Amino acid sequence: MLDYAEPVTRLIDELKKLPGIGHKSAQRLAFYLLRSGRNEAERLIDSIREVKDKIILCSTCNNFTDVDPCRFCAGAGRDHRIILVVEEPLNLVTIEKTREYKGLYHVLHGALSPIRGIGPEELKIKGLLERLRSSEVEEVILATNPNTEGEATANYLSRLLKPLGLKITRIAMGVPVGSDLEYADEVTMHKALTNRHEI
Amino acid sequence: MILARLDVDGFRNLEGAADFSPSLNIFYGDNAQGKTNWLEAVYVLGTTKSFRTSQLRDCISFDAARSLITGLTERESISKQLQTLISPSSKELYANGKRETLSRYLGNLTVFSLSLEGMEVIRGDASNRRRLIDRGIVALSPAYLDRLAEYNRVVKQKNKLLVTAQESGSPARFYSQIEVWNEQLISVASEVHTARSSYVQMAEAQLERENHGRAIFGAESVSIGYRSCLEGKGDLSRYSELLHERLALRMPAEIAAGHCLIGPHRDDIELLADGREVARFGSAGQQRSTLFLLVLAQISIYTSTYEERPVLLIDDIDAELDRGRIEALISELEGRAQTFVSTSRRAIANRYRDRARVLLVERGRIAKDTPAFYETAAPATRQALEVQTLDAYDEEEAPALE
Ligand SMILES: [Zn+2]
Repeated sequence: MLDYAEPVTRLIDELKKLPGIGHKSAQRLAFYLLRSGRNEAERLIDSIREVKDKIILCSTCNNFTDVDPCRFCAGAGRDHRIILVVEEPLNLVTIEKTREYKGLYHVLHGALSPIRGIGPEELKIKGLLERLRSSEVEEVILATNPNTEGEATANYLSRLLKPLGLKITRIAMGVPVGSDLEYADEVTMHKALTNRHEI
Repeated sequence: MILARLDVDGFRNLEGAADFSPSLNIFYGDNAQGKTNWLEAVYVLGTTKSFRTSQLRDCISFDAARSLITGLTERESISKQLQTLISPSSKELYANGKRETLSRYLGNLTVFSLSLEGMEVIRGDASNRRRLIDRGIVALSPAYLDRLAEYNRVVKQKNKLLVTAQESGSPARFYSQIEVWNEQLISVASEVHTARSSYVQMAEAQLERENHGRAIFGAESVSIGYRSCLEGKGDLSRYSELLHERLALRMPAEIAAGHCLIGPHRDDIELLADGREVARFGSAGQQRSTLFLLVLAQISIYTSTYEERPVLLIDDIDAELDRGRIEALISELEGRAQTFVSTSRRAIANRYRDRARVLLVERGRIAKDTPAFYETAAPATRQALEVQTLDAYDEEEAPALE
């Protein structure tokens, strides 16, 4: 596009890569940044650089963290006998908000989806198995999304984990298929956790 | 529920608005003026699909950026505004100005249609028959649409996995993953299978009762049956277990094929006239009456479930039926559906103008409708006109059904 000076076009192109940002939004954001003060822009640049420098995946649970092991894995107040498995770090936040769950987490970073080329190897499953073999875990709660891919992932994991002799449970989501835990409120999430059933 | 009014903007060649009768409406006019387009607009408003094209954007008129169909429905004196907005890249649905999801929107106006394109149901491949049944179920319970979408999604995921397994050269590594998708498939497939078989059973019961309909279309007794692709492979009353067994057994074959070989997407609906398969042994006339009876049965199922009338569209009614059958069909539909027909025969428009709202279509507009159409002529002229056109009607009798 020749409508803008090249650096502006480049900024718009970068912004467009962000989820949920189309061309128009990218344009608006770019022009906002152009007009904003240098300090504001520097703060944004710094905060992006900082997360990139300092945030890593917890070597135990794969959650985003600035210390390894993360606060959940290292936390003395957490119940080390339960591990709750989620697809994304964001889902973990939803569950923390209920203030009901005191166990540990495991983040898969995705769900099975042949269409998107995601098989078991693409998910953080190997680490989960290692954790279960060498720890005091008694129950694994499968809290993948209540949609096609999330159900398939829960199903795959339950088959894989059954031989280990643990209690495997699935959260009870009364929400319609095709939904995402990201949009569940605290009350729904709390109910889903309390009503979890063994599979 | 009744469609009381329709406003169109940027939809094919249509312009303006039309008001409707709760019973019979006749779009009348010369060819290529837009009669079928009006029917299509009603169909799109109710189903968000067209009966003529799979590309809804084809409906956007040449000089418009998008088309907007606005309908006013009435249900027990409560009116509701429905809108379908079609743009080249999207489709938006609104009820009373509020954006709706497809499955929520679909419960608002139930539309059935009879057209030449509909003959694909009889003659075409099984997907046409499955679609007819699925639409009937969606009319009863729109949530079924989500289950179908879910099923199709699982099939798509599994197809991709089967191809990956095939291309990997070591398919055995994928067995456990395929089993997982099979399990997903079984749970939704059972729901689809149950919904379809019980709907087809209701239709069969209705067809047995449909004596009037049979009298209209001739003596054929039409029957319908759901034919699962698992038929003959075991006990269908234990569908989930049977599907489970078959999927396990056929896994190597599915990997070799690179797509799902078993499931409701491979099922068919059997249609018999006088005990013989209509598509293969039925005459053109028998095929047509089978379709008519089937749609009448769907309407009856709908009315008996909801105690309200759906909309029925009959495109080019005189191309489909002779005079006697039109007469019988129209009295049959009275009180059972809000009917919209199109015709280019002035005689038909005249014949039913006391019972129907006749809408004269010229260059996409409703040029006149019944009140005006009727009032323009003085009583004496009217009488003369009536006699004259009735005679004319007899002369231009449509070809009889076989
Ligand atoms: Zn951790």
